[in-house]
Amino acid sequence: MTVSIQNNLLRRFFRGRNSAEKQFLAGAISPLVLYMTFWTIFPLLWGIALAFFDYSPRQTGGFLGFGEGNPFVGLQHFESMLNFTADAPLEVQQFHIGIRVTLLFAVLVVPLNLLVTLPLAFLIESINDKVKGIFRTLFFLPVLAPSVGVAIMWGFIFHPQRGLLNAIIGEFTGKLVGVAWLRDSSLTVWGIPVALFAIVVAYLWQDMGYNLVIFIAALQGIPQSIKDAARIDGANWWQMFARIIVPLLMPTILLAAVLTMISAFQVFDIVQVMTDGGPDDQTQVLLLNIYSYAFRYQKMGWAAAVSIVMFLLVFSISFVQTRLLRTEWEY
Amino acid sequence: MTVSSVSRKRVTFRINLAYFILIPASLIALLPFAWMVLSSFKTLKEIRQIPPTFVPQEFTLDNYVKVLDDPDLPLGIFYRNSAIIAVANVIQVLFTSSLFGYIFAKFEFKGKKALFWFLLSLMMIPHQMTMIPGYLILAKLGLINNLLGLIIPAAIDAFGIFLFRQFALSIPNELLDAARVDGAGEFYIYRRIVLPQLGPALATFGMLTFMFNWNAYLWPLIVLTEKNVRTLPIILTWFSNQQVDKTNLTMAASVLVILPVLFVFLLVQKWIVEGITLSGLKG
Repeated sequence: MTVSIQNNLLRRFFRGRNSAEKQFLAGAISPLVLYMTFWTIFPLLWGIALAFFDYSPRQTGGFLGFGEGNPFVGLQHFESMLNFTADAPLEVQQFHIGIRVTLLFAVLVVPLNLLVTLPLAFLIESINDKVKGIFRTLFFLPVLAPSVGVAIMWGFIFHPQRGLLNAIIGEFTGKLVGVAWLRDSSLTVWGIPVALFAIVVAYLWQDMGYNLVIFIAALQGIPQSIKDAARIDGANWWQMFARIIVPLLMPTILLAAVLTMISAFQVFDIVQVMTDGGPDDQTQVLLLNIYSYAFRYQKMGWAAAVSIVMFLLVFSISFVQTRLLRTEWEY
Repeated sequence: MTVSSVSRKRVTFRINLAYFILIPASLIALLPFAWMVLSSFKTLKEIRQIPPTFVPQEFTLDNYVKVLDDPDLPLGIFYRNSAIIAVANVIQVLFTSSLFGYIFAKFEFKGKKALFWFLLSLMMIPHQMTMIPGYLILAKLGLINNLLGLIIPAAIDAFGIFLFRQFALSIPNELLDAARVDGAGEFYIYRRIVLPQLGPALATFGMLTFMFNWNAYLWPLIVLTEKNVRTLPIILTWFSNQQVDKTNLTMAASVLVILPVLFVFLLVQKWIVEGITLSGLKG
C-alpha cells in the first residue's frame, strides 16, 4: 500500500519525463532523502531534544531513552548558563571558561593568521615562478600532517627540560631555562595564559597553509595590467601591498577571516593533545568542554545544550562578520 | 637612465628582499619537523640531557627498531584501519557527490530547489551538533568500535555535492541528449559520459576527502575506543601517553605515522591545494 502511494507521488513529481529518466531520478533521490532523514535530520532533532533533558546514557528511559531516569528539565540547562554567581554549578563555571577561552583563542588566531599569511602570499607571488612552488609547498606542508602529530611535535618543543624553545632561549641568555610553557598556570602575558599562546602558535603553524594557498590563488587573479600601472606610477612595495593588493583582495580576505574564525571556534585536536584543557582550565576550549561532558562524564543532555549555544555563537559571529565587511567594500 | 631600467632595478631589489624574508621564514616553518626527526635518532640518555642537543651526538636507529618491534603497537593494523576508513569514504563520497551534483545540475524535478537549499544549509551546521546523537545512534546499531561506524554515516558530503554541481553545469546538454537519442540508459550516461568529464574534480575532491579522513581525530576518538580498531592519530596519542618519559620513542613513532603519508600527500599536493582553493573561493 505504502509503496503504491509512494509510486503515485513519484509519478506526479517527475511528470513529463520519459520513464527511464523518472526511474533514474526516483532511484537516486529517494535513497538520498531517506539517508539524509536518518543520518542528518533525525540526529539534529535528537540533539536539540537532548538539550531539554537531563540525559545520560547510564540511565534508562522510555522512547530514545527520554523520561524516567532521564527527566525532562525544560529550559533549565539554558537558564543555568546565565548563572554568573560564584556558587554556580561546576559545569556552568566550566562552560563560562569554555566560552571565554574559545573567544580569546579565535580573537588571537584570526588577526595573527591574516597578518602572517597575507604578506607571505604577496612575497611568494612576487618571486621567480620556478622557486615559487617550493616555498608554497614548504609553508603548506603542515596542513597535510595530522594535527595530532603536530600537537605532539609542538608539545615536545615546549617541554620544560627537554624542549627546543627553552634550549634556544638558554643559548641566547646563557642561563639554564626551565619554563613550563604548557603547565604553569601562573604564567600570563597581558592577562592571557602563556599556555594558550603556545597552542595558538602550534595552531597557526599548522593552519596557515590554507589561507596562504587561497591568497596566492586570489593574487594570481589580479590582472597584471593593474600591477603594471601601479609600478609605472612609482608605487613602492608597501604602497602596492596596502593600496592595491589589500583593497582588491578584500572579499577574499573577509571570507578567509570567516573560515579561519569558524575553524578556530572548533579547535579540539591540538588542545586535547597538548594540554587537555590545562593548566587550571586555562585552555579549556568549548569543544573540549562538550567532549568531556558528553563522553567522559556522560552528561549528554548538558553537553547537547552547550553544543547548541556553540553553534549559535559560530553562526551569529560569521553572520555579523559577513554583513559588516560586506557594506565596507561597496564603495 | 630609462624608465624601464629604473623599474627593473626596483624589481630585483624587491625580489631579493622577498628571499631575505622567505628563506628564514621557511626554515622556521620546517624547524618542528626537523626537531621531531632529529630527536627520533637520539638515545634515551641524550634525550634526557639538559640542556638538550639539536643534532644527535650519538646517532641511533634503536628507537625505530623498538617501536616497530613493540607488540603493544602493531602499527600495521592501525595503518590498515586508517586506510580502510579513508579509502571507503573517498569511494562512497566521490560516488554520491558526483551523482547528485550531476542530478542537481542537469535535471528538473519537483522539490529540487528545496532539497538543494536544504543540502546547502547543512554545510553551515558544524559536526559537533550531531556528534552526541550520532554516537547514540551508532551505539543503538552496535557500530561502536566498528570501522563501519566511521563509514556508514559519512556517505553524503553536502560540500561535495555542491562542488560537483558547479563542475557538472559546464557539461554540454547536447552531449547528454545525443547519448539519450542513441538509447543509452541514464546510469550509463552518468558513468560513461558525465564521470569522465568530472575527472579533475574527482581527483581534487578525492584527495581532500582522503586527507581529512586520514587525519581525523575527534570522531574516531569517540567511536573507536577499543585498541585494535583504532586509527593512526588515536594510537599515536595513546602511545605518547604511554611513553611519557621516553620522548625518543614517541618521536620515532610520530615519524613513522606522519612522514610516509606526508610524502604521498606531497606528491599529490597540486590537487589538495586546488581543492582548498576551490572551497576558499566558493563564497
